[in-house]
Amino acid sequence: MQQFLDTTLGGLVLGAVYAAFALALCLIWRSTRIVNFAQAAMAMVTTYIALSLINVDVPYWVAFLAAIAAGFMLGALVERLIIRPVEGKADLNAVILTLGLFMVLHGLTALVFGVQHRGFPAPVSTSAIEVGDTSIGITPFGVLTIVIVAVVMAGLVVLFRFTDLGLRMRASAFNGEVSRLLGVRVGRMLTLGWALAAAVGAVAGLLIAGGDLVNPAFMDPFVIYGFIAAVLGGLDSPIGSVIGGLILGLSLSYVTGYVGEHLAPLVALGILMLVLLVRPSGLFAAAAARRV
Amino acid sequence: MRTTARRAVQVVCVLTTASLLAACGGAGKERPSEDGTAVGVTDSTIKVGAHFPLTGPAAPGYSEIPSGHQAFYEYVNDNGGVHGREIEMVVKDDAYNPTNTSAVTNDMILQDEIFAMVAGLGTPTHRAVVQRLNDDGIPDLFVSSGSLQWGDDPASSPMTFGWQPDYEIEGKIIGQYVKENMPDAKVGLFLQDDDFGEDGEKGARQFLDSQIVDVQKYTPGGSTDFSPQMSSFKSKGVDLVLGFNTPSYTALSQIAAQGVGFKSKWFYSNVGSDPALVGGLLASMTKGKIPAEQGVKLMDGMMTTEYIPGVDAPEDEWVKLWQKVWDEYSKKGSEKLTNYRIYGMSQAYTFVQALQANGKDLTRESIVETIEKEGASFEGPGLAPFRFSEDSHMGISGASVVELKNGASEPLTPVLVTDIGDAEIKEDDSAASDAPPSSGLPE
Repeated sequence: MQQFLDTTLGGLVLGAVYAAFALALCLIWRSTRIVNFAQAAMAMVTTYIALSLINVDVPYWVAFLAAIAAGFMLGALVERLIIRPVEGKADLNAVILTLGLFMVLHGLTALVFGVQHRGFPAPVSTSAIEVGDTSIGITPFGVLTIVIVAVVMAGLVVLFRFTDLGLRMRASAFNGEVSRLLGVRVGRMLTLGWALAAAVGAVAGLLIAGGDLVNPAFMDPFVIYGFIAAVLGGLDSPIGSVIGGLILGLSLSYVTGYVGEHLAPLVALGILMLVLLVRPSGLFAAAAARRV
Repeated sequence: MRTTARRAVQVVCVLTTASLLAACGGAGKERPSEDGTAVGVTDSTIKVGAHFPLTGPAAPGYSEIPSGHQAFYEYVNDNGGVHGREIEMVVKDDAYNPTNTSAVTNDMILQDEIFAMVAGLGTPTHRAVVQRLNDDGIPDLFVSSGSLQWGDDPASSPMTFGWQPDYEIEGKIIGQYVKENMPDAKVGLFLQDDDFGEDGEKGARQFLDSQIVDVQKYTPGGSTDFSPQMSSFKSKGVDLVLGFNTPSYTALSQIAAQGVGFKSKWFYSNVGSDPALVGGLLASMTKGKIPAEQGVKLMDGMMTTEYIPGVDAPEDEWVKLWQKVWDEYSKKGSEKLTNYRIYGMSQAYTFVQALQANGKDLTRESIVETIEKEGASFEGPGLAPFRFSEDSHMGISGASVVELKNGASEPLTPVLVTDIGDAEIKEDDSAASDAPPSSGLPE
């Protein structure tokens, strides 16, 4: 029972991190209809920026905010300089560009920061919380992770559902031409979408790195797992992304704890296949009324 | 379009033929003597090569080993070399990826024309090239890995030799110590999911089969969150974890154990226990970051094994020698002597010893024969003797069990010597008292 509780709590924290990452993917998809494979690498870069600041004794939360700001700028720059030139061409062009960017960022980070593993501190304790004289399998940092992801998700839901800006972003992504006719500054909306996504990605990177080791490849597993979480949720829905992330985190945690770590990647892919077979557009996507 | 393609094909053909011819020519011109091959050896030089992870997840620590080799070879070269020959070492980065290992080994054989591979690092990586080296008759000396496969079957890999104690005898020594001193401990195994973990488990199970209550594994390069594994240990009541894992994973398993509130005694294999490296990682991962020097305190009470003296014993004659060599020959003067550099220098010492013992007439065949005949009597920094013979190419035959305190190791047992299989474990301090010659050069 204790193990089940611990494994579940661990899975929830892991799931929250996948969810944060899936949220970033979902944001870019919602605002530009592109799957950004460079998301992990961009988050890795911003995490390194935070680590460099922390290592010169900048307080953790200042570094945290700086990384988010850096992510915001990096996202905007990538959209303007790399994605914009292929806008209007086949979608695949942009996707391939993001793959290239992934490799470039990897290489550059290795050159600038080195390839060795480095510890990344957490802002609060990473020891299990004690209730009475038994400890339960969640740490203050785990709780913080879940809270931050919940806040980010709520913020995005509010943005997209209840604000004018969110509506304009969705409209630009859905049909740029019509939106332009209606007076939406489509270019700006696309840039904003990328910037927001990279900022959310930066948060995910910082949560993953806390109390862990970072090296230029530390986000690589999240390219796949984050993508699976986002697809589970339907790529289009922030809530779906979060639930997709939690499902994935819990499944992987149970499999690792009860069966064996070597089966975890297989199970993740199994879940993905199952969802795509049963509900190709994801668990939470609105049914497509008509495809033209 | 079609002509372009055809032309491209022609160009490729010409280039391939040219490089093939060049390769053949290169190998052909250096095959002189009738008693054997001496590619990579001239009257004044010996060229050797090795693959190491200079980048990637296995790089911390391991990437320092070749700098130890190079410092020691420079020291030897400045003191007249070995039988008048200077040693040159080519080091190539494989990032701990076996595909890269094959490619860089190919380069070293065909382009650099190395005489021998010395100290190539890693079980999965070196496994990818061991067949190739043996097929080509290239000496493959002192592999930097404790897998059994380098030495337990000299008939199938006659050119390959191990160096450090293999993981099976380390598992046996750890197993026997636990059985005798902690007979009531509930043991959990934390294993790297490859030969390293397998061989260690095999050794430990000889003594602890009934005490082991849980086995958890991890894949190098996979997930770094070990909470599920630690939760499993916790629920099964494990109170002693034996870890056969690399250093980064020692730090990660400690953090994960704290995260699920799992408290236990820890016993890490030599490979994963370097206090300076692991302590530094642990310190930087902790809330509020404690200074790296204090990180070693986080490892107090952990047990491990030791088979060569390390930086925590500055008064040891061998460590004095390594310190002297390192101070004089390290390329970047600011870097400190570490246990990994000492490991490299200790291996380099054994290689120089083998070259000395071989005499002036050096061929690929003769060096193998020399190590088989004389290797078991080589006196060096190893706490236990080598097991080299015609029937065994296994390296150092034992280790002592130690406990870490403030970054230094305190011995819990004398040196324990054994062999693979059901060979008995005996106390044998005889090799531990070997001191280096005053010149610092093997005689």
